[in-house]
This record gives sequence, structure tokens and C-alpha cells, in this order.
Amino acid sequence: MASENGEDKLLAAVRHIAKTLGRTETMADDILQIFSTFDGRLSREKLSEKQHDDGSLGDGGGGAVAAGDDRLSLSSMNRTLRYLDHQISRFVALDRLIWSDSADASAFLEAVDDLLDTIHDLDPPAPGNKPLLDRADDLLQKCMLRLEDEFRSLIERSDGGSPLDAPAAGSSPFDSDGENSDGDDVQVPVAHPVKDYDLIIDALAPGTVSDLHEIARRMVAAGFGRECAEVYALAHRDFVEESVARLGIRHRTAEEVQGTPWADLEDEIARWLKALNMVFRILIPSERRLCDRIFTGLSPFADLAFAAVSRASAIQLLFFADAVAIGNRAPERLFRVVDMYEAVRDLFPDLDPLFSDQYSTFLRTEAATVSKSLAAAIRGIFMELENLIRRDPARAAVPGGGLHPITRYVMNYLRAACASRRTLEEVMEEDTGTASPPDPDRPSSSLAVQIAWIMDVLQGNLEVKSKIYREPSLSCIFLMNNGRYIIQKVRDSELNVLLGEEWIRRQMARVRRWGNEYQRATWSKVIAVLRTDGATGSAKAMRERLRVFNAYFDEIYRAQTGWVVADEQLKAELRISVSELVLPAYRNFLGRYRNAADSGKHAEKHTRYSEEDVEARIGELFEGTGKRS
Amino acid sequence: MPATDYQGSSTPFASIGRSILSLRRDQLHPMDGHDGGTSQEQELEAFQRHVADLFLELSSSAAGGEDLLSLSWVRKLLDTFLICQEEFRVILFDSKGILSRAPLDRLISDFFERGVKALDVCNAIRDGIDQIRQWKKHLEIVLVALHPSHRTLGEGQLRRARKALTDLTILMLDEKEAGSVLNHRNRSFGRGSHGKDTNHHQGRHFRSLSWSVSRSWSAARQLQAINNNLSAPRGNEIAATNGLAVPVFTMSSVLLFVMWALVAAIPCQDRGLGTHFSAPRSFPWAAPVLSLHERIVEESKKKDRKNSNGLLKEIHQIERCTRQLAELMDSVQFPLTEEKEAEVRRGVQELAEVCDALKEGLDPLERQVRDVFHRIVRSRTEGLDSISRSNNPE
Repeated sequence: MASENGEDKLLAAVRHIAKTLGRTETMADDILQIFSTFDGRLSREKLSEKQHDDGSLGDGGGGAVAAGDDRLSLSSMNRTLRYLDHQISRFVALDRLIWSDSADASAFLEAVDDLLDTIHDLDPPAPGNKPLLDRADDLLQKCMLRLEDEFRSLIERSDGGSPLDAPAAGSSPFDSDGENSDGDDVQVPVAHPVKDYDLIIDALAPGTVSDLHEIARRMVAAGFGRECAEVYALAHRDFVEESVARLGIRHRTAEEVQGTPWADLEDEIARWLKALNMVFRILIPSERRLCDRIFTGLSPFADLAFAAVSRASAIQLLFFADAVAIGNRAPERLFRVVDMYEAVRDLFPDLDPLFSDQYSTFLRTEAATVSKSLAAAIRGIFMELENLIRRDPARAAVPGGGLHPITRYVMNYLRAACASRRTLEEVMEEDTGTASPPDPDRPSSSLAVQIAWIMDVLQGNLEVKSKIYREPSLSCIFLMNNGRYIIQKVRDSELNVLLGEEWIRRQMARVRRWGNEYQRATWSKVIAVLRTDGATGSAKAMRERLRVFNAYFDEIYRAQTGWVVADEQLKAELRISVSELVLPAYRNFLGRYRNAADSGKHAEKHTRYSEEDVEARIGELFEGTGKRS
Repeated sequence: MPATDYQGSSTPFASIGRSILSLRRDQLHPMDGHDGGTSQEQELEAFQRHVADLFLELSSSAAGGEDLLSLSWVRKLLDTFLICQEEFRVILFDSKGILSRAPLDRLISDFFERGVKALDVCNAIRDGIDQIRQWKKHLEIVLVALHPSHRTLGEGQLRRARKALTDLTILMLDEKEAGSVLNHRNRSFGRGSHGKDTNHHQGRHFRSLSWSVSRSWSAARQLQAINNNLSAPRGNEIAATNGLAVPVFTMSSVLLFVMWALVAAIPCQDRGLGTHFSAPRSFPWAAPVLSLHERIVEESKKKDRKNSNGLLKEIHQIERCTRQLAELMDSVQFPLTEEKEAEVRRGVQELAEVCDALKEGLDPLERQVRDVFHRIVRSRTEGLDSISRSNNPE
């Protein structure tokens, strides 16, 4: 008995030594093997058998009747599990991060791998191994809990760390203005230069990424992929949202955006434009890459984690555009809204590969919808412009028939808008639903039609305004001034391409027509006085005619030197045509008048203006200097 | 008329809208509108009746097979809204000549303002749907852990499931105290102490949801704002607007009710159902709408629903299932008795059913909410276009 007891003790001691020295099942096995060859009492059979009988899980009867092989493998499994339990419990009880020591980390992972292998071996279940499997499952659960914690801590430890620190001195172009970055918390993503979106943010250090991947691999293998993706999202989402907040982007509701004064909204849009590119070209692609690395070969968990991390920020940014799109349609908003439209549209090629999986593909639809809303807003703004022009009241006449502010405003507005001609083409075509892409140089494109229509509306409004001048001549001068300005602005801009030569020719013909009307209205009565139809009237009648001419001419001179023709060429043309009309008639008249008059001296007395005087005075018309009528 | 075909449709919807509108007008004015006045009256009358029918249908379907506030019922509610909105749009289109005349102009612009406010509700609801989706992820973990294919329910599996349930409970609790949880936002990242106990994450990591509305936003206040100054038109208003004051009031009420019911059903920031809702019984739709309103209020007052995140039937099921399962798990001893195991299996089965309902219903619901959003935007855009055009008789 005593020796038997002693042998038991010996066997127990040997098992203990093997278990303590051997970190793995095979190592322990090897050690036992060595012992068994060393001493006959330490045969493998005895060691195994004894262990099995000692096993707390051994259901004595079942084990005894089991076939020898099964018993053997079960007991070896049991041994392994006990060993793993010991190993794992030691790690799980650690009061610090296992990953704070890389040797611990790899030992723990190895234990988890062994456990997974063991569970695999126990499956499909053989009779009698259910208790083993339960124990293994329980152990696995402990491992996974701990891995989840380690995984989370690795991310959180890194999130505050260095990889995002601004690489260059100087303030970031994307610094949010409201936020004061305090000391070590500075991690504003910086891109120098701004246009370079090939940047990747490494939110986590490469070592951390590979650690995380190792953990993720085990969690997925153990069927804990969902937990892993979830813990990733929860731990890392704050980082993404914080990054967006640091770009100066706040959560805004539609109502708030509606209520924001345009000047403030413009600033916000400027920030948004930068943020949009930063987020969709740098931040989110970096997130995609990060997820792909951590969960490499572990799809769909990469997609799941990526969608969970990026959804909110993506939606938040896109929604702001929606909110702006439904806002007020004042024409001055056009330029910013066009910027927004272009920014979203230009993202599309990047979004396709980014949001290609089932969990995030809706973001592509979302972006497409947002760009549609912005396009509708742009069309709405053009409609509003049209309305504003049409409704612009003819209150006070511009002194001297000069250029009206609305002409200047509309023409400069359209010229500026044409800087985005291709975009506007696209937006207008979208409305008409033309299937084929528009030929942008075709004057019949939707945008061209739209612009021509606005020009018509403007023309109509100017004609209404011209009616408030008492003199028809001044109305003509007003229309000529504005008409000429329109031509010039069209000619030296993209409007030229849109409206086409034909339109310009028609506009020029119009201006000529107003010129003719002006001549008729102002000068026909003057010419009529001078015209004697060959018949030489009496000296008295001739004198009377001259007196009337002088009165007319004085009055015209007095009034029309105060009128304005801003365009020098137009002014010169007008004067020449007036001179060509008046001077020959006057010269002719003076000749006949001198003949008819009794004495030349007498004649000179009534001739207030020499031919040269008349010419000189015509040359002073339209200077905007004289007294106004 | 398919009410939810917007998503994925590649045809520009402006043109679809136009063709539908012209079609409608042709039907309404077959003789080129010689009897325009009466036919418009008929149109307005038909709208009232149709709205009433739709809500009666909703009300009776909730009494019959479908449960009030179930996912499928909420989807039906949104379909109803979309149909009403579409018909209202036709009415506006047919009356575009007079939209800018007082006092109709004010009524219309009030309606559009309400629409903008409703957009924010739609966004909040989308977040809420996403939140339910987060919950679903945890339910799925429970289902994976306790999957029937496991021959036996071991301690490890039960513990895994139990943890998922705990996480879910925290998620569902947290949103009620959103404010306190959101304060964690500004904590320094990753500098929290590394705890060793498995519960150390409580209250720290569990912000289940990223709201895309601002933090101070309140659904209750938003509903209040939609309701502001909403009152039935007086006789002289009706007369001065060719009767259009009536459909404007009707559509505003439908908008308010639908937004209110969404807030009632779906989790969102600062839910509150106190919005006073009234409509004179003389409107044919008033009775069914008010009765639905009353039934939902009653539901919200039930003891087991009072503290809910949302009155959606599926949320209730989640709450009930998870609580029962959790209690069951806490009470079991290992090895499991057959009886207990069967009980757990039953709980899991029930959970699986809720999960399936969510899987089938959440995505379409979210698309519908998005659709509602876009219909409101579109109706507003078209309305503004009509008004600015009619300001300029050519």
C-alpha cells in the first residue's frame, strides 16, 4: 500500500512537472515521454490512466467502458484542457494588458490557438466528450472576453497617440475655429497642400494594426466576429467623429440651416467643402484601409466594422448639403451651391470603390440624391433670378439715360456664373432629361436657352424702365447704353459661346434700331426746319427757320450734353451719325440763306452758329456734364 | 401607384411627377375644364374622403390582423402619408395660379415651414432606425451563441449570450439618459484605466449611436413646433382660398400625426408624446386619426411601455424576450435540466422571430423615411416654383 501510495505521489509529481514545464500540449507530451523512458514505473499508460481517473470531469463508468483508443484520446484531451485552463487562467487574471508584453501576447494567442484546435478535435462529438466540450467552450468564452478587452484597449491606447499628429509646423488649413486644441490633444489631420488628397491617415500604429489583426483572426475563428466588429466600431467611432468635429463641422438641422444668415452659412459652406474632401478622400478611405487591414481575410467583418464607423459622419456631411439645397434661392447663393454640387459630384468616382459592400452601398445612393437636390437648387436659383429681374421695379430713372444697375448686376452675375459653365450645362440638361450628353458648345443647349431667356427677361424689364423717361430720345439712349453694355459683356466671356454670333448680331441690330429711333426723335424736326425743298423762301421765312433751328439746337445741346453715353465708341458713332445728318443740311441751308438775305452782314447777325460751331457742339453731346432737362 | 418606388429609380422624378400630374388633370378635366369650378370642388372633396379612408384602413388593420405600432403597421402609415402627399401635390399643381394670393400664400408657406421641421424629424427617425439595427447586432450574437445547431447549451455559450444581453440592456438604457452618456464624448481617448473585470465597460463605451442631429435637438419640441398655430380654417378663409385652406389643413394634420406617430414608435432624441392634437370632427378623417392618436397614447401609458425607447411592437418584444432570457440564465444551474434547456430554446426561438422581423422591416422602413423626406422636399420645391411663376403672369 505504502509503495503504491508512494508511486501515486511520484506519478502526480511527474505530471505536475510536465504540466509546469510544458507550455504546450506537445511539449508536455515530450516531457512525459522522456520520463517514461527514464523509469519503468513512469510508463505513458500509467501517467495517462492516472490522469484520467483524477480528471474531475471523468464520468467513471462511461470512461471505463469506452474503447481503449477513445479513452486514450479523451484523457489526452482532458489533459490538454487542464493545461490550457491553467495557462489561460493565468493570463485572464493578469492585472495589466496582456499586450503590454509581446511575449505574453504571443503565448496567450498560442494558448487560444491550441484551445481552438482542441475544440475542433472534439467536434464532431464522440460519446463522452460533451463535458470536455462544455469546458472548452467555457474556456473559449473567457478568452474571447479578454481578447475583446485587449482589442478595445489597443485601439483606445492608440487613438490618443502620435500617428495623427500634424506633420508640419504652422496652423492647419482645416483647423476648426471654435475649438481650442489643448496641448497633447492636437491631432488635426493636416494635408499640405490642400489639394493633395492622396494622404492616408494612420490612426493606429502598424504594430497595433497587426496586433489587432491577430486578435480579430482568433475572434472570427471562434465565431466571435460580430463581437469583434462591434467592439471595433464602438471604440473607434469616436475618433472618426472627433476628426470630423475638428474640421469645424457641427451637427445642423434643416431648421437651423434655414435660420442661419447667409453670410454665416457661406462660412460654414466653405468649411464644409474642405471637410467633405478631407472626410471622403482621406479620413474615410483611411478607415476603409484600416478595417481592411485589421480584418484582412475576415470578410464580411471588415465591411461591417467600416460601415458602423463611417456611417454617421458620412450622413452628417451629406445632410448639410440637403439642408442648404432646400434653402432660400437668392441668386447670390448660386456660386456656393455650385461649389457644393461640384464637390459632391467629383466625389463619385472615389465613393464607388469605398462604399461597394452591402453595408455601406446606400451611402452612394445618398450622395447621388444629394447631388440631385443641389442641382434642383441651382435651377431654382436661376428661376429666382429670372423672377427678380422681371419684378425689379422701374422706380427712378438713371440720370442721363446711363447704364442701369440691374444690367450691370445681371451681366456680371451671368459672366461669373459662366465660370462654371460645364457644371451648369450638366445641371440644366439633367432637368430636361436629355439622354445624350450635351454638346456644350452648342448654343441650343439647355443652359444656352436658359441664359437667352434671362436676357429676354432683362430686355423686357429694361424696356419697361425706358418708359419712365419723358423724352423718347432719352429712352433710346438708355436702351442703347444698356444694350451696348450687354453686347460687350457677352462678347468677352463664355456667354459668347452660349448665346452665339447670331444672338449678338440681333442684339447689335437692336442697338442700331434704337440709334435710328433716337435720330428720328431728336433730329428729324431739326432737319425738317432746315429742309427747303429747293425752293428759296423769302428772306424773312429763312430767317424764321434759322431762328427755330437755333432754338431747337440750343435746347438739344442743353439737354443732351447732360445725357450719358458711357461707351466711347458708341458715343463717337452717335456723334458722327448726328453730324452726318445735320451738318450737310445745315451747310446747305446756310448757303441758301446767305443767297436769299439782302446783305451778308445782316445774314451773319442771325447766324448764331457757324458750321464748325454746330459740329463742335455735337461733339459735346452725351458727356453727362451739362444741365439736365 | 407604387408609393415607395423612388429609390433606385433612374428616371428623373420631376418628369415622372409631371406625367402623373398631366395624366391626372386629363382625367379630371376630360372636356378641357369647362366645368373647372365644380371639378375642383369634386377633387377637394375626393381628397378629404380618401384621406379618411386611408386612416380608417390603418385604424382597422391595427384592430385586425396587424398590430398597432408594429413595423409593418408603421410602414403602412408611411405609405399612407406618401399617398396623401402625392394627391395633395396634384391639388397644389392644379391650383398653382392662385397659390400666391392672400391668405392662401400664408397657409402654404406655413405648410412648407412645417415640412422643413418634419425633415429634421425624418433624420432623427433614421438615426433611431439605425439604433435598432445596433440592437439587432447584439440579438444576433445571442442567436449565434445559442444557435439550435449547438447540441448542448454549455456554460460558455450561455455566458456569451448573457454578456450580449447585458450589453444590449445597457445600450437600450443608455439612450434614455442620452445626456449623461454623451458627456463622455469629451473624455480623453484611450486614457481610461484598463479594467480587469468584465463589467468595466459599463457606461463608458456604450454610446450605441451617433446622432446625426445636434445634441440639443428635441423631438418633442420639434413636434410642438410643427403643431404651432395649426388650426382648422375658418369659413371666410375657406371662401377666400377657393376651398384650398381645407386640404392644406388636412395635409398639415396628416404630417403632424405621422411625425408624431414615428416619434412614438422609434427611438429618437428627447421623445415626448405630449403634443396636443386636435381636429374638428367635421373632417371625415378626424375620427380615425384621433382614435389612432388616442390608442397610441394609451399604449404609451401602459405600465410596461412607459419607460420604453419606442412603442414599436418589435422593441417591446426585444425588451420582453431579453428580460426573460436574462432572468432565466441568471437562475439556471449547470448542468442544465432538460426543462430549463427547453425554456431557453423557446426564448431563443422568440428572439429569432423578432430578429427576422427586424431584418425584413428595418431597411425598407428606412428607405421609406428617406422617401418621405424627399417627397416633402420635392413638394416644397414645386410649390415654391409655382408661387414664383404665378407671381409673374407672362
